[in-house]
This record gives sequence, structure tokens and C-alpha cells, in this order.
Amino acid sequence: MVNLSELENDALVEIFNIGVGHAAAAMSEIVNEEVTMSVPSITFLNRADAAALLGSKKDGERICGVSQHYDGAFATEAILMFPEDKSLEIVRLMVGDAMPLQELTEMEQEAMSEIGNIILNSCVGTLANLFDSELHGSLPLYHVGTSAEILSSFGGHDDDAVVLMLHIDFVLSKHQIHGYVAFVLDLSALHDLKQQVSRYLAKVLGQA
Amino acid sequence: MNHSKQVLVVDDSRVSRLMSHQFILSKHADWQVIEAATGEEALEKVKTVNPLLILLDVNMPGMGGMAAAEQLRALCPQTHIVLVTANVQNAIRNRAIELGVGFMEKPITETRIHQLIESLGL
Amino acid sequence: MPDALHRLALLESILGAVNLGAIVLDEQHRIVLWNHWMARHSARQADAVLGQDFFAVYPELRHKRIDSAITQALRDNFQSLLSQTLHKAPFALYTHGAAAGGNDGEERMQQAIAVTPINLPGSPRHCLIQINDVTIAVGREKLLREQTMVLRSQTFSDGLTGIANRRHFDVAIEKETRRAMRTSSPLSLLMIDIDHFKDYNDHYGHQQGDGCLIRVAAELAAMLQRPTDLLARYGGEEFAAILPDTDAAQALRMAEAIREHVAGLRIAHAKTGNEVKHITISIGIATQHPQQQPTISALIGAADRALYLAKGAGRNRVMVQSL
Repeated sequence: MVNLSELENDALVEIFNIGVGHAAAAMSEIVNEEVTMSVPSITFLNRADAAALLGSKKDGERICGVSQHYDGAFATEAILMFPEDKSLEIVRLMVGDAMPLQELTEMEQEAMSEIGNIILNSCVGTLANLFDSELHGSLPLYHVGTSAEILSSFGGHDDDAVVLMLHIDFVLSKHQIHGYVAFVLDLSALHDLKQQVSRYLAKVLGQA
Repeated sequence: MNHSKQVLVVDDSRVSRLMSHQFILSKHADWQVIEAATGEEALEKVKTVNPLLILLDVNMPGMGGMAAAEQLRALCPQTHIVLVTANVQNAIRNRAIELGVGFMEKPITETRIHQLIESLGL
Repeated sequence: MPDALHRLALLESILGAVNLGAIVLDEQHRIVLWNHWMARHSARQADAVLGQDFFAVYPELRHKRIDSAITQALRDNFQSLLSQTLHKAPFALYTHGAAAGGNDGEERMQQAIAVTPINLPGSPRHCLIQINDVTIAVGREKLLREQTMVLRSQTFSDGLTGIANRRHFDVAIEKETRRAMRTSSPLSLLMIDIDHFKDYNDHYGHQQGDGCLIRVAAELAAMLQRPTDLLARYGGEEFAAILPDTDAAQALRMAEAIREHVAGLRIAHAKTGNEVKHITISIGIATQHPQQQPTISALIGAADRALYLAKGAGRNRVMVQSL
């Protein structure tokens, strides 16, 4: 589906690791505890497969998503996703709360939105800076639903959309939580991205 | 014996290793840069080479940079060890100080590498 | 051009009238706009801060979240949100006006903040910081949560399963042990625990785990028909049954019937770690005899110990511990 060389794939993984590393530092500063985040791998999928990847764990389980729209040098919908009970866990850990309520309250949804804002801006920001690209980002939006519902609410009519999926490992206070960041890209955005990666590699390694 | 000066670059990202490699040579073309992809590999390398500087990525699968730093610090007491990370926070800073290692921030740039080498007096 | 000036005057009035704080920084972090709301709720008038570096006015905010948000707005053209939950009150702002830094003891207002890039043609990028007073909303939500907790603790029912909760159990066990001694009758206690429940939760998810608890509780309740019997949810996956006027032999018969019934439900459980692939329970029994005068904790302790032995002996069984 996507022709990235091994080196190009490596470069993207590394760039996103730097992005989530910065985000982890920012979150650590907020809670005053050690926070680490990493992106062990990335995958390119079509929308249906991406939804299946997220939904496969437990049927009917809800996902909490925080989305932001970016445009400029390339356009994408970026979505941070965690299973609902994991989102609860992250927010409760960040806020230091132990309330036994089953859902995120409205205030906690705001907190989750900010967490998404930090992580997504960090990932896309690192990409934009290293690629020397001009972008504009929106404020975060909170969603809750099944993975298919969340993924299909973006760029809806475009069946050729590709989802760049980042696997995220989030560690706070001995809790290790797995989540995802999905970038929904249409074919032209995907092409732009691939071009940017090549250009970046040529720039930093060209002389070697 | 007069070996050429050696730097060991440890990072699971090949692009990162290549960048560090290149930026080191652009400052000291006569130096030798050795690469390792994991903490375990780094520990193997230092059995046969004696680098004056080790650059250690913190975020690596398996052993990880922190654990590798601790062991390398014991194995190579004279070597400058520098942790490389995008996640600069107090917990990591403090642990680096405890271990007696330095750190450098990611993204890796030519400027940062050159400044690091200069600051270590190398 | 009267139209343009009129429009400018209109916009300035609006900025002065809006019920939120608006601060605009230029590309060097200097404050170029400080609206009336900011002046009213902070200790600073516009002419005191205009032209100054934002971080000279608020040095405590350097290196904090808002610092990187401002950088992301100016450098990357990104918008940022600072939620009221993660940052209680970054700015020294007071709902009832600024009493010289709030030394009348008033707490800072709770703030929701958005940082937005402002792009003007022919000008370097600027940055807008919007501040909303969310003290009331936060207070209301806090009150609702506290009320929920109080209501929960006042009832005798377990929120999830509908059977008696721990508080009810604590009250009942005291009442029944005393009554048993007064009437010289035996009192039995069953401690019932779902086997491998953590593995069930991990594998099937918490929602299904809750469903399982609800079902098991209902089945247990259906088997304890006598009006004086009490079934309570003792802990996460642990239940307790108080059986007044029940001697050891009767308790053993009841416990065995209960165990068999739950096993017979054949609720699928793929992760038991053995060849029995359905939900089972372990039960510990302790009986207080008329001549004995044990403490409540001795009775519970014995039943707990029996439960522990049942688990150790392979689960899906009933064990007795004498006092």
C-alpha cells in the first residue's frame, strides 16, 4: 500500500519517538512524576483494518479519542485513542483522583482533551519542524464510541484514505498503558508525507 | 598504543545512528565511530574497544539506555557516557547525575553534537 | 476612513465587554493587548503591562505548560488547550476583582485557557491567550461528585449488583451475632469468592466482568430464600452470607448446593488456567455455636481462613474452619 524504504520507515518512527518524548516531558512537568512514552512501531492501514485493529480487543468496548485537524503543507486528521477504561486510568493518574465512577466526567474529558492536545501537537510539531513545513492546527475535540465510529467520522467520503497508525506505550507511576495515534491521510497527503520523508533523509544523510 | 579516538553510538534507530555518526565525523574526521543497536550490543562492543565517548539512546527496547548506562559506567570508568533523549525531565536528569553520566537532548543536530564534544573537551 | 475607524472602535468595545480574559503577545512575547476583563480580575492595569515581556510579568510561568503552548502558537502555528483539571489556576486571577494580589484570602479563580496563533498579513505571527473563569462549573461538578459519594455510603445496597453492600453486612453481622448469643442459637457465615475473577476481568474486560458479578450475585440471592439470611457484596468479587439459626451441618449442605448451582450455570471462562472452563466459586464456612462467645472478627477470620484453604486446595469447593 505504501512504499516506504526501511530507512524512511525508521526515520518516521524516530521522529514520532522524539515527538512523544517531548510530550512525556511536558506531562511529567504537570504531574511532577516520571512519565515516559514511546512509539515501538508504525503501520499503514486502510480505514477498515485500522478500526479492526482497535476494536479487536474486546467487543463493544468503547474508545476515547481526542482529534485535531491539521492543514497547510499537508492535511490530516490526527486522533489519539485509548480504550475507555485506560483513558479513565490515565486521567485519574494525572489528576491524582480515585473516584470510583465509571465514566469520565466532563471536567475529566477536558483533561483528556489537553492530554491529546499535548501529544498530537508534539508529534506533528516535531514532524513539521524537522521537515521545515508550515502547518496550522485546531483545538482538540473529544469523542467516545467504537473505533469504527471514531475513525469513520473523518474525511468520510474518501474510501482511499490511508491511516498511519502509531502504537504508543505510555508509562506513568508503574502503570503501562497501550494506545494509538492515528493520522488519517488522503492520497495526496500520503504522497506529500512520503516526499517530505525522502527530502528529510537526503538533507540529513545526503552527504554521507 | 596510539589508537584513533573512538566513539560508540548506541541507538535502535538506524537513521539516528547514521546522523550521529556523520555529525561526529564532521567535527573530527579522523575519529572512528562504532555503532550498536541495543544496550546488549553496546556491552559486547566495549569488550573489544575502548571508546572515549559513548552516546546512549534512552528509549530502546530490551535493556534500555538507563540500564545500559549503569553497566557501562561500571565497565568503563574513564569513558564519557552521555544519555540521549527527547524526554528531558527531572527524574531522568537526577538519575543521570546519580550515575555520573551526562545527557543530550533529541533531536540530534550537528550543532548539538559539536557543542557536546566541545563541552567535554574532546 | 470613518468606516474603518468605526469598525476598530466597535471591535475595541467588544474586546472590553467580553466576559473572558484576552492577552495578545507579539513574536517576542511582549504583551500588546490586555483587555478590560484581565485588568479587572488581575492586579494589573493595561498600561502597567503593555510592551513588557510576558514572562517578566509572570516569571513563575516560565518553563510551564503555557510557555510551550505560546511557543507552539508562535513557532508552529498550533493551538493549545490548558484544562482546568490539570492546571488549577496558572494566573493570579480572582473572581471578585483583584484585591491587591488576593490577600483578603480569596482563592484564585479556576481557569480554562486556550492559546491560539494569530496570523495577520504583513505582520509576524502573534499569539492570543484566552482565559475563562470556570470556578462555578468546577464547583458544581465537585459538589455533584461529593453528593454521589455521600448517597452511596448512606444506602445499604451495592450499586452494581443491587444486593446488600459492605456497610449493610457490617451492621447485620453485629446484630445477628448478638441475637444468636441471646437466643442460644448457632450462626453460620459463608465467605464466597469467584475463582480466577481477575483473569476473567483481564480477558473479557471490565464491562463483562461487571455483568458476571451481577449474574452471580443474583443466583446466590435466589438460593438464600429464608428471610433472615443476608447475602452481601463483601469486596470486589467476594460475597458473604450470614445464616442465622444454621448449624455447621446445615451450613455445609447449603454451601455445597450453592457451589454446585453456580458451577452448573456454566458461565464461560476461557482463562481459568485449568481444564474447568467456566465460572466457579470457592466457599469458606465458619459456625458460631450457642456456647461460644466469639468476636465478630474471629468468626470472619475463621470463614476467611476456610476460604483461603478452599482456594489452596484447588478452588471450586467448600471448606470449613472451626472457631
